[in-house]
Amino acid sequence: MKTDELIQNLSGDLAPVAPGAAARRVALGLGGGAVVATAVMLAWLGLRPDLAQAVTTTMFWMKFGYAVATGLILAAVLIRLAKPAVPAGALAAFAGAPLAVVIVMALVRFANAPPETHRALLMGHSSSLCPWRILVIGLPLLVGAVWAVRGLAPTRLLLAGLAAGGAAGGLGAAIYAFACNETSAPFLAIWYTLGMALVAALGALGGSRLLRWR
Amino acid sequence: MLAGLAGEAGPYRRLLDELSGLLRGYYGRRCPPGVDAEDLVQETLIAVHTRRATYDAGQPFTAWAYAIARYKLIDALRRGRAHLRAPLEAADALFVPAGADAAMARRDLDRVMADLPARTRDLIRDVKIAGLSTREAAEKHGMSETAVKVAVHRGLKSLGGKYGGSPGDED
Repeated sequence: MKTDELIQNLSGDLAPVAPGAAARRVALGLGGGAVVATAVMLAWLGLRPDLAQAVTTTMFWMKFGYAVATGLILAAVLIRLAKPAVPAGALAAFAGAPLAVVIVMALVRFANAPPETHRALLMGHSSSLCPWRILVIGLPLLVGAVWAVRGLAPTRLLLAGLAAGGAAGGLGAAIYAFACNETSAPFLAIWYTLGMALVAALGALGGSRLLRWR
Repeated sequence: MLAGLAGEAGPYRRLLDELSGLLRGYYGRRCPPGVDAEDLVQETLIAVHTRRATYDAGQPFTAWAYAIARYKLIDALRRGRAHLRAPLEAADALFVPAGADAAMARRDLDRVMADLPARTRDLIRDVKIAGLSTREAAEKHGMSETAVKVAVHRGLKSLGGKYGGSPGDED
């Protein structure tokens, strides 16, 4: 086909695009993933039995807050990385802020605790399971994010994959917080972060292949 | 582009027309062998159209469009490599003619050395680029060999200080 005809056809088939369409697509992908991830969490692990009481504690909201804040910031970074030539660096710099807060709280908690409790603070009772559970719960979210971003126009595939994985890991960990009954900030700082990092690494590894579009 | 996003066909058409001209220039210089530049132009126009939702109002349109063009170029190169479609002989076209690099290097060199004293510049050119020995250069300029060495050394050092990358700075 001649290029002139192509242009004629393309401008003939011109539906208006609402502003924010790209952001909505990412929200849709992550939202759909979150529904599946929640179903996986409920069927596999179930809610923590003491949830009604836990929601009155700071620790529950700190876990949830850390994970959801990291996930949402990285989702915003992902939306920018899904658009050609839109810078994302300034926003990405904030992605570490929730982690920094959690690390400070963990250090304070650790420093003020009697030495014989240190091991329990660091390892909890589920440290060998926590990161893997976050990985599994994060997978549907990662699939949703990849679906969404493939339909947009990412040109920095590795970074977009990393952000997709980080957003999926953060939101997955937030969902996992409803099943997990660990109560220590040091545990959160180490094992939740590791779980999110696993999903982020998976996203980065898959990104350059899975996010390619034609 | 904003008019295009709002669904106005006329301005959008003019935009694509202009863009196709820019893209022809872009791919004309960069197109890999065995790929028709006009195909890439068309592919990019289609991508610009189907993915126009990723254009942010207020963002420079050309930066956005060129980022897509660059992605399409890389994609074409990657596919070319994956299928080994291009015959080896055609790879010649990948390289710029041998003279082009040298010409550009010379132009950069002229600019870089412009701040040096004229005689130092000539000495560096003779000794380091034209390949004269120190003695030949000394005879040519009517200087002692030591003076030539010192002048060349000082000139290079001042260049190194200005542009970085002198051996002494790298440790």
